[in-house]
Amino acid sequence: MTDGRVTISVDGVQRDVPAGELLIKAAQDQGTYIPRFCWHERMKPVGMCRMCLVQIETPRGLALITACTTPVADGMVVDTEGDQVKKAQEAVLEFLLANHPLDCPVCDKGGECPLQDQALAYGPGESRFVEIKRTFEKPIPISDLVLLDRERCILCARCTRFCDEISGDPLIEFMERANLTEINTFPDLPFSSYYSGNTVQICPVGALTAKPYRFRARPWDLVRVESSSLFDTAHPRIEVHASQNQILRLTGVDNDATNQGWLSDKARFGFEYLDSHDRVTAPMARRDGELVEVGWREALEIVANRLDLIKQEDGGQALAVIGGAQGTNEDAYTLAKFARVALETNNIDCRLDDTMASHFLAATVDRATIADLDTAGTILVWGPDLKEEHPTLYLRVRRAAQELGVRLVVIHPRATGLDDRATLKLAYRPGGGFELLDEIAEGAHPELLHALSVDRVVALVGVASMADGPALAESVAALVRQKSPSCRILPLNSRANTFGALDMGVAPDLLPGRVALAPAGVGALGEGWGPIPPRPGRDTRSILEGLESGEVRGLLLVGADPVRDMPDPGLAMEALEAAEYLISIDTFIHDSNRDADVILPAAAFAEKEGTVTNVEGRVQRVNQIRPAAGQARPDRAILEDIATLMGAGLGLGSAEAASKEIAEVAPAYQGVTWDQLDWEHRDGLVIPLTGAQPLQHIPVALKGKKAPRAALTLHVSRVMYDDGVRLRHSPSLRRLAPGPVAHISPSDAPKLGARDGARVRLVTQRGEGEFRAVIDPGTPGGVVYVPRNQPNAAILGTDPVVRVTVVK
Amino acid sequence: MSNWSEGTQERARHVLSLYPEKRSAVMPLLYLAMVEDGHLTEQGMAEVAVWCGITPAQVQAVASFYTMYKREPTGRYLISCCTSISCMLLGADQVLHALEDQSGVPHGETDHGGLLSVEHVECLGACGGAVAVQVNYELIEGVTPDRARSLVDWLKTAEPEVVNGDEMQELFGTRRSFDWAIREESGAVGPYPAFQSLGTVGSEEK
Amino acid sequence: MTEHPADSHTMLRYRATGGYDQARRALGMTRDQLVEEVKASGLLGRGGAAFSAGLKWSFLGPARPTYLVINADESEPGTFKDRQLLERDPHQLVEGLIITAIANEVHRAFIYIRGEYPKPARRVQAALDEAYAAGFLGSGIFGSDYDLEVVIHLGAGAYICGEETALINSLEGFRGEPRLKPPYFPAAIGLYMLPTIVNNVETVSNLPHILALGSDGFAALSSSADTGTFMTSLSGHVKRPGNYELPHGITWRELIFEVGGGMRRDRKLKAWIPGGASAPWFVPEHHLDLEMSKDATAAAGSMLGSGAVIVMDEDTCMVRAAERIVRFFSHESCGQCTPCREGTTWLEMILRRIEQGQGRAVDLDLMIDVSDGISIGLEWPPKMTTICPLGPSAVSPIIALRDYFRSEIDLHLANGGCPFPGGLAAIEEEE
Repeated sequence: MTDGRVTISVDGVQRDVPAGELLIKAAQDQGTYIPRFCWHERMKPVGMCRMCLVQIETPRGLALITACTTPVADGMVVDTEGDQVKKAQEAVLEFLLANHPLDCPVCDKGGECPLQDQALAYGPGESRFVEIKRTFEKPIPISDLVLLDRERCILCARCTRFCDEISGDPLIEFMERANLTEINTFPDLPFSSYYSGNTVQICPVGALTAKPYRFRARPWDLVRVESSSLFDTAHPRIEVHASQNQILRLTGVDNDATNQGWLSDKARFGFEYLDSHDRVTAPMARRDGELVEVGWREALEIVANRLDLIKQEDGGQALAVIGGAQGTNEDAYTLAKFARVALETNNIDCRLDDTMASHFLAATVDRATIADLDTAGTILVWGPDLKEEHPTLYLRVRRAAQELGVRLVVIHPRATGLDDRATLKLAYRPGGGFELLDEIAEGAHPELLHALSVDRVVALVGVASMADGPALAESVAALVRQKSPSCRILPLNSRANTFGALDMGVAPDLLPGRVALAPAGVGALGEGWGPIPPRPGRDTRSILEGLESGEVRGLLLVGADPVRDMPDPGLAMEALEAAEYLISIDTFIHDSNRDADVILPAAAFAEKEGTVTNVEGRVQRVNQIRPAAGQARPDRAILEDIATLMGAGLGLGSAEAASKEIAEVAPAYQGVTWDQLDWEHRDGLVIPLTGAQPLQHIPVALKGKKAPRAALTLHVSRVMYDDGVRLRHSPSLRRLAPGPVAHISPSDAPKLGARDGARVRLVTQRGEGEFRAVIDPGTPGGVVYVPRNQPNAAILGTDPVVRVTVVK
Repeated sequence: MSNWSEGTQERARHVLSLYPEKRSAVMPLLYLAMVEDGHLTEQGMAEVAVWCGITPAQVQAVASFYTMYKREPTGRYLISCCTSISCMLLGADQVLHALEDQSGVPHGETDHGGLLSVEHVECLGACGGAVAVQVNYELIEGVTPDRARSLVDWLKTAEPEVVNGDEMQELFGTRRSFDWAIREESGAVGPYPAFQSLGTVGSEEK
Repeated sequence: MTEHPADSHTMLRYRATGGYDQARRALGMTRDQLVEEVKASGLLGRGGAAFSAGLKWSFLGPARPTYLVINADESEPGTFKDRQLLERDPHQLVEGLIITAIANEVHRAFIYIRGEYPKPARRVQAALDEAYAAGFLGSGIFGSDYDLEVVIHLGAGAYICGEETALINSLEGFRGEPRLKPPYFPAAIGLYMLPTIVNNVETVSNLPHILALGSDGFAALSSSADTGTFMTSLSGHVKRPGNYELPHGITWRELIFEVGGGMRRDRKLKAWIPGGASAPWFVPEHHLDLEMSKDATAAAGSMLGSGAVIVMDEDTCMVRAAERIVRFFSHESCGQCTPCREGTTWLEMILRRIEQGQGRAVDLDLMIDVSDGISIGLEWPPKMTTICPLGPSAVSPIIALRDYFRSEIDLHLANGGCPFPGGLAAIEEEE
């Protein structure tokens, strides 16, 4: 027995295992697989299925114990193969199969079913059960995404434990008792969890099935590749499954550093857009006012010539790029280089006027990692509702607070998904964030200051409400740093690969590798890139203003839809209309590129390979599993061709070549190779590796506006399902968007005369429209909460003053 | 917010005050929900969920585990016949049959008028006074098939406001497990247990 | 314990017979003194497991606050002793509760009474109300600075809640599912994950007597190794069924033929269940002259369990009796563990099939093998494949069929159904 290790005997072989580890896990890591159904490594053991019974020697003789509930002890003698163990395992299997329908040929799980596999390995081979089997109505839909077959269910409680322990929405439960026990929901209260798909993945039989995958394939026909999801800023690790070049499902992979196996339903089911018939599959150019398909060569020449012409006439400052956050780092690097080298401009931004300063996002000193949450003294979340916008972080923070005993403080204008686990929750009027911050700084809320006075404070900061704007987050970070100098800060931003794009220099004031765009930084890149414009360019808002004023003449949109995604869509609409020349590289036609002069079809997720960087700065691989739709090509390749035609070749050639150049010229990314990420660092690498982060940003307190004095203030924030381009083209998820709804507190509703479901009219400075009222105890009095970017919803802008009237 | 009567809400608040944690009140509150609606409705379970701060699914998981939370409309008189081993040995099956036959209600069901429900149950703890029958959980010991028939007739005709065990024992019972001591005037007012803190104890002051 | 006048459930009468004197005395004793006294008395838990009550108390963890829970969820078929103690002598229970609370430094107690016992619950509530009014409960009991609050929690129809960890789950507002062991005793981790003493009604009702008689005096009530008296609930085919408070050490013959008055209608004794529905059965050929004690019963492969004795005469169909007991466990299974949930139901279905005339020659062997899957090796005490002993309990009747009544199964097969009068006609399939 050495420190923290003990010696046990498994089937006569001495094994050195970690002290206190569950026997089932210790044995598995040593190569002895003890069969099981209910045990899951990421959840607490329940010892219910009894499949993992093994025999141990005790002072009172041999005893059968469940390996999933028994921690190893030094000197433990375990028999996993003896006659009594075999008898117990065979009996459990026979019992489980007694009432099982054995409809394996038409079961989605067939071929990857633990019950099937273990029946083969440990089962008796024939059934002696001649009685009538238990029957249930089947399958029953328990949500829009999940169906339940209670006949197949073996009552292992994996799904119910997941909801209770992991995701915090116990909407499915064991119902009834004894032999009639079943899993079910409350009548008319569906299993509408954002994480429901995980229960399908961990179901050890075909009891829970997912609508998007049902009857689509047999597992042995699937081609699989590992990748990272861009529907979640933590970039959860996934496996992409395809058959005949069609993506059929995504499953969660257990990356200890990030998702630990779990996925939000958006990350899991948000793949259907890839095979949408609405994909742009060929280059299109405007002829006689109509967009028509043209050949690649023609399209690229049109674009190159026109961009070149503007550059010749007015210089690079008349050109601009918005976007680049949806692709890979290699795409983003190519885009950053393209802007500087081919367009000769720093007018480039991957942000859409809805997030914090690029230096704060990319280069905060002491940026927290996700793993820091587990060991934090206090976690402060002052930003978006993590459950809506940052699903992986939500699960990790919940786990820290619920299972690991970490103190949690949540500050948000209304109820959030973490409130039930918060030791302290502060709500404030939207737009009043800076005032609250001042109060806190002056000593109000001593319990909060106390929570910040401990070691290992981790602060997650982001945009809590559009009314407060993005600047608040940096001020929050500054205050936390002041109160807790050793704190770690995680600035949040919810768009796909924004952190990768910023690291690659897709910002007006950044160069690849977290280098500030200043003469010194330019010098370091000089050799590879040649001369580049020395002064920072325009950000997205300024680019759009430039388009309106005519100072910017040509705009390249790369996977960006500012009309839908900007807080002030009016500005985007007017600016794009005013644009002299608009080019879009994208997978779909949408509100922002509908009037483009040229649309170039982009390869999408799973159609290209590369790397991405998540919210904590973790670089991971994404992989290709099929050819791009139609004639679509990776952004990177399109940009290279345009640059070449403009006479300013980028000299990259392939994604891997781009990655090599990144590793050479981008300081923070030095030495990162695909090889490393494919083999010894499959869970990714947190950048910077060596502390070689050239740009060091220390958060500062910024001044903000005061809360408006109005009867009702408007709180607009993102929710899981909205009218974003990819969700709009994913049929299974599209219908889950709440639509145009306005949440009103139970105290305000009677004053307004609004009942639940009533039609109400909301009027703000920037817009007005009709919404369906939801009377919501989670919304405080004086606040009207409207989920952002919903289908058929009017645009209300960012000003928090709102008037609400009931539509008669 | 609550759909319950003020009296029931008052009781619910009292029940909640008895426990260190809200969730512990789920079982007594489920009884209150039955008292409020006559049986345990979905609305009743949803209401209990709000009081206890848990989801309606969690409430139903509890409610459906126990046999006494009746989630189907139940008759004014719930007749429960023990058919466990000791009562079986002394003719419980015949007593149950007599109850079903005389009432026209098969076990597990309720008559059309909503007056009688008949069920067979596991051991009622009256094995020394087999066969044991309860009406609204008030006990009668030493019931025979003939007496079971008389009990059904009596319930149909007398329709007592309060179901009193001592009275029924005198009318329809025989041997008891032990001496019950002095007669009590209290009894049940519906198909749920008569207990002080539930406010379900009826008194037959005449 | 069971010498009660007609009004013994009232405070007036209980005080008149020396009631609450011992509780008052206990306030003057230390925890160690009380625990030692109870240990020395040899009092065994009377809920079925027969574990030393004093030892159980001594497991209490260091954490505070601790809770006391009285288990009055008596539901084992054949058992009705606690009902009598609750109904007839609630103050005796309350006094025992106060003593237990003081011994374990507990200030908050719950009495978990099964839902089908509203009358016992009313009587105990009335006793609590009287005790509160008299200042024996509440803040500063008996004029001391000791506070004690007691709440009755009514069950709602689930035998398994008599298992102490299931009871705790039920009291916390969860399904009454037994918890994983270890921890084996709620004294370590119990109600709300805090140290909790769970004691049965009869166990606690003994305490005033232990203090009154002293541990030696209490032990002397019995001539056998098991101390004190014990309560037996006698039911089935005897002339005088009922609850009997007996000294340990009498034989089964004495119980059935003297205490119980012999067999009803003077039929022949065929078998009896010595300790509640879970216990392996005894037959006159082998067991009639055994002593009714924990050790002698265990040596013969059974247990005194909850103290329920169910007597069956020669006209009893053993298949039907077995079916009724297996049905009970199948119906009362919490449904967590596969072998219990599926196995007990399977056994019930086979037994019913045999009873109804669809038995097959292989069915007994099949039942034995299914039982072996629930209780590996079919040993006694059972080697469990389950979290709690409920599932293995259903195996006892099957063993009885195998060991003593194989011929009755053959008779059912030959007869095309039950050859005994009064078959299962009245009971149809479960819905």
